[in-house]
Amino acid sequence: MTFLTPLFLLGLAALAVPVLIHLTQRERRQIVEFPSLMFLRKIPYESVKRRRIRDWLLLALRAAALALLVAAFARPFVRGSELSAAAGGPREVVLLLDRSYSMGAGDTWARAQQAARDVLGSVGPLDRVSLVLFSSSAELVLRSSADASRVSAEIDRAEPSAGSTRYAPALKLAASLLAESSLPSREAVLVSDFQRAGWQPDEAFRLPAGSAFTPVLVETSPARNLSVTPLSIERVSAENQERVVVTAGVSNRGSTPADVQMTLEVDGRAAQTARVQVAPASAAATTFPAVTLTAAPLRITTRIPEDALAADNAFHAVVRPSEVLPVALVGAGGRGDSDLYLTRALSIGDRPRFQVTTHQAEGLAPEALARTRVVILQDLPLADATSARLRSFVEGGGGLVVALGPRTSLPPDADWVPVVVGGLDDRTRGAAAKLSGFDYGHPVFEPFRAPRSGDFSTTRIYGFRRVTARPGAVTLARFDGGTPALVEGVFGRGRVLVWATTLDLSWNDLALKPVYLPFVHQLVRRASGYAEQPGWLTVGQALDVGASTTGRVVLTPSGQRRPAGEAGQALEVTESGFYEVRNAREGQPLQVVAANVDLSESDPARVETSAVSLAVTGQPGRGEQGEVGLVVPDAVQEQAQRIWWYLLFAGILLLIGESWLARRLTPVRR
Amino acid sequence: MSTHPIAPGARWVDPAVLARVRNLEFVARSVVDGVINGLHRSPFFGASVDFAEHRGYVPGDDIRRVDWKVFARTDRYFVKEFEADSNANFSVLLDVSRSMAFGERLSKLDYARTLAACLAYLVHMQRDRVGLALFDEAIVEFIPPSAKHFDLVLHALDRARAERPGHIESPLKKLAEHFGRRGIVVVISDFYAEPEEVFRAIGPIRFRGNDVILFHVLDPAEVDFSFTDPASFEDLETGDQLPIVPEALGDRYRALVQAHLAELASRATAQGVDYMLLNTAMPLDHALFRYLSIRDRLTRTR
Repeated sequence: MTFLTPLFLLGLAALAVPVLIHLTQRERRQIVEFPSLMFLRKIPYESVKRRRIRDWLLLALRAAALALLVAAFARPFVRGSELSAAAGGPREVVLLLDRSYSMGAGDTWARAQQAARDVLGSVGPLDRVSLVLFSSSAELVLRSSADASRVSAEIDRAEPSAGSTRYAPALKLAASLLAESSLPSREAVLVSDFQRAGWQPDEAFRLPAGSAFTPVLVETSPARNLSVTPLSIERVSAENQERVVVTAGVSNRGSTPADVQMTLEVDGRAAQTARVQVAPASAAATTFPAVTLTAAPLRITTRIPEDALAADNAFHAVVRPSEVLPVALVGAGGRGDSDLYLTRALSIGDRPRFQVTTHQAEGLAPEALARTRVVILQDLPLADATSARLRSFVEGGGGLVVALGPRTSLPPDADWVPVVVGGLDDRTRGAAAKLSGFDYGHPVFEPFRAPRSGDFSTTRIYGFRRVTARPGAVTLARFDGGTPALVEGVFGRGRVLVWATTLDLSWNDLALKPVYLPFVHQLVRRASGYAEQPGWLTVGQALDVGASTTGRVVLTPSGQRRPAGEAGQALEVTESGFYEVRNAREGQPLQVVAANVDLSESDPARVETSAVSLAVTGQPGRGEQGEVGLVVPDAVQEQAQRIWWYLLFAGILLLIGESWLARRLTPVRR
Repeated sequence: MSTHPIAPGARWVDPAVLARVRNLEFVARSVVDGVINGLHRSPFFGASVDFAEHRGYVPGDDIRRVDWKVFARTDRYFVKEFEADSNANFSVLLDVSRSMAFGERLSKLDYARTLAACLAYLVHMQRDRVGLALFDEAIVEFIPPSAKHFDLVLHALDRARAERPGHIESPLKKLAEHFGRRGIVVVISDFYAEPEEVFRAIGPIRFRGNDVILFHVLDPAEVDFSFTDPASFEDLETGDQLPIVPEALGDRYRALVQAHLAELASRATAQGVDYMLLNTAMPLDHALFRYLSIRDRLTRTR
């Protein structure tokens, strides 16, 4: 019981007044003359001294009435969900239950379930409960249910997932559920281990005004937690074989040193082991001997013995042989260095490796086109036949980079090129043109977005072709006059990028600038549609099944078969292990993807519940470890409970009863 | 005392009503006449000359009382004895200490004053000599018994005021010296003293051959102790105050008072002293009849 205006309680001192009047004042004023105290003196004095209160009931009534009035003015209220619920009418309770994999440590999950059921214990028949299970995403299991047993059954059925803790989606969901509720009293209860990793303080989520927030902390077991760290995979080539050297680490979050045996599994079989000593609160790594790659994707797992939290004791990765991207460089010929810079630039790089072949325009046979992924045209007048071949090449999914030069000409019907090529702009005299207006949001320029990540401003452009982008084409960069410098267009399943000046030194000095190499790589990658296959996904990320999903199924690490769904629809990774995408009929996997839990979840560091309360309600909560604390503003709670009203009413009733009783008793005394 | 029929008119006169009549003689006459008129016979009136008996002469007897006629017939000396002397000395010793002023409707002093006046009138009518002494801690006023002092007695009674603290022993011992002649001494007081002290005080009077009658006048409140509210009780004589819760002390107080009264009565019986407890609500004729019965007995006693 708390008081909103506790200073009023000083008025309780007035309780002594009727007692004092009763005991002292009346006797002092009333003096009875008596002939002699001879006999009275013979009676022992102590019994005389004791004063008796005659009308105990009256005194009690008066004192109680006074106490009630004082208490009413002090505005009492109870901090706690039960009473506020009882006084504030039916409640809308949103129960947020953390099921991140850290909750699976020891008996944490059982205690979390019990804590959630305890919350249900305080739910009245008129209250409604929504159950939200959350980890990295939030799932609304039950919405505004009046059936507590159903909620309890859902809680029993729930299990920890492989996801990591993220509070924002759950709290936002709770906020929207509470905002939609029409019940007078609203409360969100968050049952979690309150890991700091999932808490981002700058996230703006607030429950609706007047809502209560109760953080319920479920203590995680203090046992030490060892976890593997992400793998580092280095490719080495030896004797025409590609090999990978795997470096794996162990992180020790506990307070005692650990001696761990780490196992490297290749394709499900333990290949190598190593012992690693890890100091408290630190990490150690070990490097395994190189593993030879084969044509099939290699499934690599590092594993340490299981501890209380088993989910972070293994790390999976898929290693594929390096991909080779065939590039056909088509030049006009005649200029010795025209292909030099491009070939040199494309000879570097292993993600992907570029396999460059040079061709003459006339020699660009359909067979050659069939073997290549990207064609680069250097300042080339296109004949109709070549144009038609390139058109069908692009339409079929090929990539084309066109660098314009003084000799470039396109057939007038080349609608697959995203620009209309105009006249020549010669800047050999006067100030050279410069590049500007980059679309850094586009994948081509995205690597150059950050400061000191590539400087195009020093490039001098001495000549370029004025181009006009066709409708639907995207201008990615411009010259300082505003004319497009790089235009991207999509035709069919392929992509065409037009660079309005040359890619050698004839019209500009870009080839001499450090940004040249990554820029060219980006152009080719973009044109080819190359996407690097990640070695692993993290639980919660989307698995790209592929463009054509018909008849494909996904085999999850736990052995479940899931239909791949519609084309373009991503499948969320929910387990740790290896996912396989297969054809429903064929046995061999089309694609293997490793999935790992978010290792930040294995950090037991905790965020203060008061900080969460502060962010959620704008007021610091009182919730301590394992306790339930309300963070509704005191004034709001007091207003909702309105205990003062009942106290005042009871006090007035007592006063009425007191005056009636006093009137009854007075004649009797007379 | 026998059960004499009493005139109904006098018997039930409320002492409080009488007290409002300031003329003591009138009051006394009204009360006493009412009592006397109701008697069929008045054995107390002029009976002092009645012959009682003869007894043998013993040396020392007054030879004037020898019945010579009997000597002539029998040749023996006989002394002729008569009933008691009619003209007895009658004195009222009235306590006028401060405690006598107590009384809710009627103060004890007013009651005692009226009683004394009635007794004085009655005695005066019997031709006895009437005297009065007022005392508190000392003798306030003393009127020696005389057949002519009735008016003085009434005046003195009228003037009596209860103003000072009282002490029964020393004034009574002094007064005893004045009662050399045998008579009737009536002490009217509230006797706020230990019984032993009271009887020590009246001892000298009694030893001089006086018949002593103690009229113990108390207010009903003093006996019943019917107070209810806790209060400071102030001693009228000393001015001391004592916080009292009547409900807590009432029973013990009443027990103490009853023990005190019983002690007084038993000591009085033992010492041959007449003792009568009066409360101010009782009609005065109780006291008068008591006196008359005592007087009757005295006249028959040698």
